[in-house]
Amino acid sequence: MTPAALIETALLLGVLVLAGGGYGGLYSVGRLRARPALVRAGWVCWVAAFAVALVIAVATPLEAGWKLLVLGSAIVYAVIPPVTWRYLERLHVEAERGR
Amino acid sequence: MYRSQKLSLRYFTAAIVLFGVMILFGLLSALYYLYPSMLFNVFNFSTSKILHIDTLVIWLLMAFMGAVYWYLPKELGREIEGMWLAEATFWVFCAVVAVVALVFVFVQYGSASEFSLWFINQGRKYVEAPRWASIGVVAVMLVFAYNVIGTAVKARKMTGIMWVLVLDLIPLLLVYLDAFPAPTNLSVDLYWWWWLVHMWVESTWEVLIGCVMALVLMDVMGTPRRIVEAWLYIEVMLVLGAGILGLGHHYFWIGTPRYWLGIGGFFSALEPLPLLGMVVHSIYDAGMHRMKTANRPAFFWITAEAFGNFIGAGVWGFMMTLPQINLFSHGTQWTVSHGHFAFYGAYVCGVLAVFYVAKQKIAGVDFLDGRAWRWSFALFNFGMVGMVMGLLISGMAQAFYGRAIGGSTLMAFTQASENPWFLAGMYARMGFGVIFALGYVVLVYDLLTAPRRALVAQPAPLEPA
Repeated sequence: MTPAALIETALLLGVLVLAGGGYGGLYSVGRLRARPALVRAGWVCWVAAFAVALVIAVATPLEAGWKLLVLGSAIVYAVIPPVTWRYLERLHVEAERGR
Repeated sequence: MYRSQKLSLRYFTAAIVLFGVMILFGLLSALYYLYPSMLFNVFNFSTSKILHIDTLVIWLLMAFMGAVYWYLPKELGREIEGMWLAEATFWVFCAVVAVVALVFVFVQYGSASEFSLWFINQGRKYVEAPRWASIGVVAVMLVFAYNVIGTAVKARKMTGIMWVLVLDLIPLLLVYLDAFPAPTNLSVDLYWWWWLVHMWVESTWEVLIGCVMALVLMDVMGTPRRIVEAWLYIEVMLVLGAGILGLGHHYFWIGTPRYWLGIGGFFSALEPLPLLGMVVHSIYDAGMHRMKTANRPAFFWITAEAFGNFIGAGVWGFMMTLPQINLFSHGTQWTVSHGHFAFYGAYVCGVLAVFYVAKQKIAGVDFLDGRAWRWSFALFNFGMVGMVMGLLISGMAQAFYGRAIGGSTLMAFTQASENPWFLAGMYARMGFGVIFALGYVVLVYDLLTAPRRALVAQPAPLEPA
């Protein structure tokens, strides 16, 4: 790995997770406030995260296994906010019923 | 107020004092990077760093214990079992910490002998406290475990949170025993030492703060027990699933077999995923309960915890956790940057929330808000973000110039330490460290000042879509 590739790859990995977080944050706020535009902005963040994962897979000197893991992580990011949100809603409904 | 809650206030006070000591020695340690010959042979960097890191461990441990003593009677509906022992232990704990700190300041180190190991400095990073003091910590933990388990048995009551807490006490006690062996083989020593650092301070504490936060969420935001317990179980599963084998990222370069590269990298890469779920959860809860909360500072610190944990542990951790990157980044200021952010996000924010819960109870106000805590909150967060950015720049300069270009030689390390990028990052860390310290001063002022008695009408909570 060249010195420049080291810094570039590390920053790309950080941006990937940050974009995933941006997706989770915007998606959640959008759902909370019933603003589809924010939810869409969240999805844009996820697309950005996936694009970063693709760049990591294509342009960095990481080994193939790590590239697959990064791509897999980016795909999993897509499902975490909606699944978590639905789970939380269900938990709250059940908790309210239990009161 | 229960007697154990009075004890927890003592623990909180001691924790806040040690938090201040930690910041003081953090600032001093930062100065050494700018003035390397400062206090040479009078008070060396190594001693300052020991005091910075060891006080971090102890103040957080004291704050956790205080938080448990605060909530235990409420959770189980009775006073703590063995209260007198708990009270006596607190003073013993304080005395041990004070003696060890004085020995570190005035004696600092000894000759390579058993005497030094027992009475001056064990010489193992993060557990430098001499053996007699480490035995004292074990005794404190045993009393703490007796208080928790004994109270649950006497109360004949076990909640989900209590089960997790009681089970967490087992590794909390056992893994700390790793502080004692002193193998002469460095690889073997580091192999077990990481159990202490990663398993005890990271995994076991992660579950402990999870229990505390579950209790705080019910208290401050009125989150139903069923929900906090469900999330607590998920957290425990994730700690067991990803956190334990995530330990492998510490085994990359200490002489362990090659398969640790794969295990450590894989499980560490999974760690940001649950943190993303926590961000979603915090936004959901914040939206559902934001206006309902009667303790605004605690609420903001709880929310900051989820975001700080995600960015500090998730983003900063993922940047450097894959072996190909870690080869260059480990042991640089890059790691320090990650460590500061992750500890702050995962533990400090949560503990500060508990301090405000206690403050509200002592003040006897229905609604806790004000101006000072906002300043403290802003200064702490601004200071921390600035510090970790400065450290990141310095760390990347070390990895780039000292490791990737220079090949990790001593000369390359020295040259990287004089690199303008490295120094710029260190100056930034110093400046933002002072801002962080100002946040501490405002925090202490705010905690010591009686709040205005204001009953504010609370608007209805926001409804999720």
